Amino acid sequence: MAEPLARESILEMSPALRQLRSSLPEAFRSRLRSARELDREIRDAAGEGAFPTAVPALDRLLDGGLPRGQLVELVGGRCSGRFSTLLAVLAAATSVGEAAALVDLGDGLDPEAVLALGADLERLLWLRPTALKDGLAAAEMLLASGFPLVVLDLGQPPVRGGRGVEAAWLRLARAARAQDAALLVGTPYRASGTAAGVVLKAGRARATWLGQGASPRLLAEYSSNLMLEKRRGQLPGRTEGFTLTAPGVPQPAAAPTLPESRSQKREEKPALAAVPLLRRVAAG
Amino acid sequence: MGSPRTACLLLPLFPLAARLRSEPELAREALVVVEGNGNAARVVAATRIARAAGVRPGLSLPQARALCPKLVARPRDGECERAAQEALLEVAEAFSPRVEDAGEGTAYLDLEGLERHYPGSTPELDLGRSLMAAADAASLPARVGIATSKLAARIAASLPDPPVRVPTGEEAAFLAPLPLQRLAPEVDVAGTLERWGVRSVGDFAKLPAARVASRLGRAGRELHATARGIDPRPLIPREPPPAFHEGMNLEWPLVALEPFLFVGRAALDRLCQRLESRGFACVRLELSLRLEPDGHQERAIDLPAPTRDVKTLLTLVRLELEARPPGAPVAGFSFAAHPDRPREAQLSLYGPAALSPDKLATTLARLFALLGPERVGSPRPVDGHCPERFTLVDFTPPPPPEVRRAPRAGRGLLAVRVLRPPMEIEVITDGAGPADSACLAPLEIRTPASAEAAKRPQVEGEVKVASGPWGLEEDWWAEDPTGRDYWDVELAGRGLYRIYRERATGVWYADGIYD
Repeated sequence: MAEPLARESILEMSPALRQLRSSLPEAFRSRLRSARELDREIRDAAGEGAFPTAVPALDRLLDGGLPRGQLVELVGGRCSGRFSTLLAVLAAATSVGEAAALVDLGDGLDPEAVLALGADLERLLWLRPTALKDGLAAAEMLLASGFPLVVLDLGQPPVRGGRGVEAAWLRLARAARAQDAALLVGTPYRASGTAAGVVLKAGRARATWLGQGASPRLLAEYSSNLMLEKRRGQLPGRTEGFTLTAPGVPQPAAAPTLPESRSQKREEKPALAAVPLLRRVAAG
Repeated sequence: MGSPRTACLLLPLFPLAARLRSEPELAREALVVVEGNGNAARVVAATRIARAAGVRPGLSLPQARALCPKLVARPRDGECERAAQEALLEVAEAFSPRVEDAGEGTAYLDLEGLERHYPGSTPELDLGRSLMAAADAASLPARVGIATSKLAARIAASLPDPPVRVPTGEEAAFLAPLPLQRLAPEVDVAGTLERWGVRSVGDFAKLPAARVASRLGRAGRELHATARGIDPRPLIPREPPPAFHEGMNLEWPLVALEPFLFVGRAALDRLCQRLESRGFACVRLELSLRLEPDGHQERAIDLPAPTRDVKTLLTLVRLELEARPPGAPVAGFSFAAHPDRPREAQLSLYGPAALSPDKLATTLARLFALLGPERVGSPRPVDGHCPERFTLVDFTPPPPPEVRRAPRAGRGLLAVRVLRPPMEIEVITDGAGPADSACLAPLEIRTPASAEAAKRPQVEGEVKVASGPWGLEEDWWAEDPTGRDYWDVELAGRGLYRIYRERATGVWYADGIYD
């Protein structure tokens, strides 16, 4: 405990630093230990350090985007829209020129899908570990090497390795903090324990279909919501809804007119090449 | 145009210097390097402490031990000497592009034009001091001699108080007072000259050349020319090596991994230091193991990107040996690093930060070792319709844009989490068509009970909504075409899945979860 005391005494000795400290809001004054922390707090407060995700619900809940230097855990059960959200974050980051890494424990990435979201695949590193222990070690290496965004997805249960060791999660969070990197972890259940700075929960999703009865049906969209479960300095419980459009269906999702326009056809690259064509034939 | 000047970089007591480079902790011991086996082993070189106790080259090992009971003896090690010689040449090549490998701890450098880099009053001596400092930094206590001929330079390098410079045209005068043994004459020629009473180089040089040639033959004629400072041998530059080597023969065969990694780390340290001095990084590391009693193994580790990070290389060696143990005690080893230029990146002031190429190469190498090369890379779609297919390419991100820009608003597309490999499922259909028809709408899905299925996500339940069939055909002209009928199904309370039926076999599979 000698180190914090020493810093404290340095702060006390310097009138300029004392003045700086006294000018800070009360909430920060007792917590700050170092200049780097101060810099980070100021950037976070101004929303400058955040990593924009291009997922409006996520950006609203996180006040501008993924906070850097923190472990953000996105908990979502099966078919909650969790994986789509993670891919959208990766696509947003790589499309603006940032390098990003996906540690995909479930081995579920379809390159066509992430390409359709607008990702720059040349800037995306994809790792496919087979056990959680390896996934955590790989994510830590990526953070240490300077990747500004690392996304770790635990896949669907049963996860090989369960919840992992809490010490490993803490080390991972510390690596993100040391590198000031954004770390987003997608889990089917709470796994990172106290290491998570922010916890979001994706609710149960609801599918919307086009067509009724015996007529050919078409998956149109998927609606879910995100709830803020934990964030320092904020009350939990804030909820934001979001809608995901099925591949090959134009926006707004519920538009009943099919087939799509030529321009939309060129713009949208469906996840499964054969499906949209057959959908159009069936619907039209 | 003056005569070309040559420098000689000489490592005195080469077998000893090479051994001390590999085992620097022995520098403060009474160490001798011996050649031969058992009691017949002869001392080749000895440290100052051993020499102070009376140990001299040529003594047998028992004689040397009698003089100095605490003597540490090491056999001559070809691997150590080869690595030390290479390191010496690399030091020389850091100064001059034309370097001759004369072996046994000797290298010659062509100094033409180098004096311009040393603007002081004694440029050649300054250059010599720089050479010695560079060699010292590579753990090689070398000496330097500078002259117009190779022979004079070598003799100058062997004199005390290096660097020693012999001015142009004064080679004969420089050599004259030296004893004749400095010219290393052949044994019979040396004996004849001894009988004639010729003791110094100068005395020999005064003899008439024709008469020396008629009495001593070709060897005598060449030695006489040498004594007069005439050395017609040109400098023969060497080709740069395709790989950098480091290794050693071990005193005791090693049976455990940790001790091997301990000595291996020191060798990798030296290897990376040499690579760095030449501006290279390692793109492929080869490991040769000499096994007891009479075995040999070769390993090769390909790196995803050039690196000279010792920790990474050591981890890769560890993983390689853990995966495939040698199966016999290791009596010696050698690393060969294939060089390549390290990656470089231009940093941006206003755009996103670029990844450090060095760090990225190191991380990729470690990830390859941790997960396997087939599980690390940049994803690419393949030309085809089957959604589970993909390919991985090397991750070499382009430079980031010069200016940071905001991401465009998200499309909010629903993505499919692919199940690899597809899970076989049992599907109860409505039976409203012929058995081989694609129009059998699924009513209920069950997962067959098996140990393998227990490790996968459960896909079962009553089908609430089914959308399909969406046909997929691929390679219909081939012998083994792909034909599938896809369905999007929503299970009651259990989520949304993509399933398909193989047309050829009628077997159903789940291949994706809308998530």
